[in-house]
Amino acid sequence: MATTTASLTLTSTDLFDDSLSISNTSTLYKAGTTIGLDQTTGLTKTYVTATQQFDPFPVVKDATNANENGRVYIANMSEEETEYITVSIGDAVIGRLYAGDFMWMPWSPRAQHVNDIEITPSVATGMWIEYMAIHNFANIYPDSADS
Amino acid sequence: MATINATLSVSSGDLSSNGLSLSKTMTMTKAGTATGLEFSSGLIRRKLTATTLIDLVTVGAQMYGTPTASVANKLYVKNTGSSSTDYIDVAIGDSETDSGEELLATGGNSKITLGRLYGGEWMLIPFEGSTNNDIIVAPSTAEATTIEWMLFFE
Repeated sequence: MATTTASLTLTSTDLFDDSLSISNTSTLYKAGTTIGLDQTTGLTKTYVTATQQFDPFPVVKDATNANENGRVYIANMSEEETEYITVSIGDAVIGRLYAGDFMWMPWSPRAQHVNDIEITPSVATGMWIEYMAIHNFANIYPDSADS
Repeated sequence: MATINATLSVSSGDLSSNGLSLSKTMTMTKAGTATGLEFSSGLIRRKLTATTLIDLVTVGAQMYGTPTASVANKLYVKNTGSSSTDYIDVAIGDSETDSGEELLATGGNSKITLGRLYGGEWMLIPFEGSTNNDIIVAPSTAEATTIEWMLFFE
C-alpha cells in the first residue's frame, strides 16, 4: 500500500460579505478500506494540436472496477484565457476547464464507453494538458492489438 | 467580480519510487476572460437518510440564481462523514429511480456514474449545467449521510 494525501483549499475575501475559507485533506484509500491506493498512471503532460476528442482514461472491456475508488486529476495548462477543454464521461459533459483550471474527481469505471473520460480541446493551435489517475484498478488500458 | 482561489495539493512518498508532489492553484474566472466568477449557491448542507437517488445540483433556474450553461462554473462536493465503508455515488444525468447506467443519448431515464465519495472525501469539478446534466447522488446506506456542496457560477 501507499499513503497518498490530497488537500483542497477554497478561499475568497470578496465573494461574500464575509470571507470564504474551506480546507479539506483526505487520504486516498481503496474502496471500503483504510488501505491506500497503490497504482497511478503517473502525471502525463501532453500537447494537443487538434480539436478531436480523445480518451485519456478509457475503460477496458469487461474490466471490473465499478466498485473501486479511483481519483482523476485533469488540468488545462494553457495561458490563453479563451482556450478551454471540454471534459466528458461517456456522452455526458462534465464541464469546461479554461486556461489554468483543474479538476479532481472520483472515478469508478463501470462500463466501456459509458464511463470513459474524454477531453475535447477548443482549439487546434496547441494546448498543454496535464492528467493523472490514482487507482487500484485491475486494468485501465486496452490490451495490445497484437496480444 | 470576486477573487476565488482553489489550491489542490497531492502528495505521496511511496506511491511511486520517486514520490509525488503536485500543487496547483487556480483563480476561478468567467469563461474566456480574466474576470472572476461572482455568484455562488453558498455552502449547502444536506442530510440524507435513504439510499434513494436524488438530484443534488439541478440545472436551470434555482433559488440562488440561474447558472449559465457551458461556461466556467465549478462545483465542490464533500461527504462530511468519517466512515471508510459508507459512501455516496456521484453521477450525471437523471435521478429517476429507474435511471440506468448508460449513455445519456440512449433515451429514457439514464445516468453516468463518476465515482464514490467515502467519508471525508471531496471533489472539485467543472459544472456544465446544460439540460440532462443534473448532478445526482445516492448514499450507500440509509444511515444519516451529510453532504456539503457549493456551486460557483456565472
